[in-house]
Amino acid sequence: MTSSIRVELLVLRKRMATWILLGVWVILATIFAYIVPYMLNRSGATPQETELIRQLMPDRFAGNVSSGFPFYGGAFAIMLGVLAIGSDYTWGTLKTLFTQGPGRLRIFASKIIAIAITLIPFVLVPFIIGATSSAIVASLEGNAMSWPSIATIGQAILSSWVIMLAWAAFGVALAALTRGTSLAIGVGILYTLALEGLLSALAGSVNLLEPLVKIFVRTNAYSLIEPLGAMNAGSAGDGPGRFTGPFVSTTQALIMLGVYVVVFVGISAVALRRRDVG
Amino acid sequence: MHGLNAIETHNLTKRFADGTLGVNDLSLQVRHGEVYGFLGPNGSGKTTTLRMLLGLAMPSNGNATVLGATPGSTESLARIGAMIETPAFYPYLSGRDNLRVLAGHAGVDERRIAEVLTTVDLASRGSDRFQTYSLGMKQRLGVAAALLKDPELLILDEPTNGLDPAGMAEMRDLIRTLGQEGRTVLLSSHLMGEIEQVCDRVGVIRRGQLVAEGTIDELRDRDRLLVRAEPIEQARRLIASVAGVEDVTVVRGEIHVDGDPAAASEIARVLVQANVRLYEFRVERASLEDIFLALTREEEIAA
Repeated sequence: MTSSIRVELLVLRKRMATWILLGVWVILATIFAYIVPYMLNRSGATPQETELIRQLMPDRFAGNVSSGFPFYGGAFAIMLGVLAIGSDYTWGTLKTLFTQGPGRLRIFASKIIAIAITLIPFVLVPFIIGATSSAIVASLEGNAMSWPSIATIGQAILSSWVIMLAWAAFGVALAALTRGTSLAIGVGILYTLALEGLLSALAGSVNLLEPLVKIFVRTNAYSLIEPLGAMNAGSAGDGPGRFTGPFVSTTQALIMLGVYVVVFVGISAVALRRRDVG
Repeated sequence: MHGLNAIETHNLTKRFADGTLGVNDLSLQVRHGEVYGFLGPNGSGKTTTLRMLLGLAMPSNGNATVLGATPGSTESLARIGAMIETPAFYPYLSGRDNLRVLAGHAGVDERRIAEVLTTVDLASRGSDRFQTYSLGMKQRLGVAAALLKDPELLILDEPTNGLDPAGMAEMRDLIRTLGQEGRTVLLSSHLMGEIEQVCDRVGVIRRGQLVAEGTIDELRDRDRLLVRAEPIEQARRLIASVAGVEDVTVVRGEIHVDGDPAAASEIARVLVQANVRLYEFRVERASLEDIFLALTREEEIAA
């Protein structure tokens, strides 16, 4: 199994698309979590602007960075999941792999583990750049450097990884069901933007939608990082990543995201195991 | 070794989701240590059969055993090297890295990679990306991948596709050598020369059905009835209705009839009784190429 995981990591590591996704995600995360909020609010003319600048300080960086994962980061995780599995259909490499002998499920498991490992830099790099950015903002504003505890940072990193894993598993399932990449990415983005995004926005005014919205990936993802103070900066503005509730408990959020990972991976495994490979 | 046969299929059938019958009631046996040619026109069901033998496609009916195990099982795949259709590899990885990926999954020592790259004469291009390879090089990498596990059984689907004449000759030599080493080889092809030069026994498939099987000599010795008659379509239909007739094809105004030689007298009786004008009625010894061409032409006529 170890050798299978090692070679699947090679497949992901040597693929340019993986690095492009990581690069674009890190740039977007930095722009929307630090550069844009700082440029818009640096005058501190109103109490709201002052508060938004406060969100960019080192003591709140863990929450601020993690606020980008439920939506923006999720979109990149979906794409990574889709590409990691869907391309094997597109290129026909699945049939080459499946004739090697270890069994379809073992190959699939090694791919899932490789995706989970590949998501680590997708989480760590934004946190490292976020910490650096917050230090720069603090210097520019002449504020003292006060950092969150290691436990808080660890919780933020782990929560963000769980969120990314849930979205990547969603991408894997879409790729396995559609046996390709294009449709899977289209459906994935459409789902996150149109279905979860619009219904979440409507949930405030249509009470009937609230129970449904509470099981959404986005709701549980935002709820998982909400205790970190993540909901004040990155997700409070206008835009597709905006989320103002409803929230569920952290425990429920963690369980739900875990269930999503299991369900999406399970669906994919069944599809890969049972269906003919072209 | 499990029994006499490396591969056995019994009434193997594959019906696709759209209802198309890809393989129909196919029963064949490939013996241990032989090079078996699986011959048939394009679209006749060769690749679908091979995919079922590798567990890539599930049969709709019938069953098969490969090296004594269920097709697609870990037990059988560990001892099989295969190349199905166009070789499929990661385009951005080098040939060597692609083999590394397969070796990792198969649990094969990476030192074997250099050996198989040398065997297929790709050692000097092993570090180049797969997407930069010519069709012939891709094909050779596919064969290298098939050899990676040092398999007992090789399943090769049209391995000379895209190769130039020299490359085809080298590939045939390689397959012959592999056969001489005692490996079982199931070689699918629509190229007569390839099959005739390399294979011990041949199975001819058409529209998913095995229409002939035997050694090259046995197939050459098959007698075929040749009929010229008018009206030709009526004659064809009458002949096709006679018991023992397996195959009727119309080629350049002649009716070629394959089947039980004993059916000849009944065919003559039926045609005369129906007042069909009979110009020629003779038995000819068909070559392997004749058999294949007849099948191919009929496919073309049907299309």
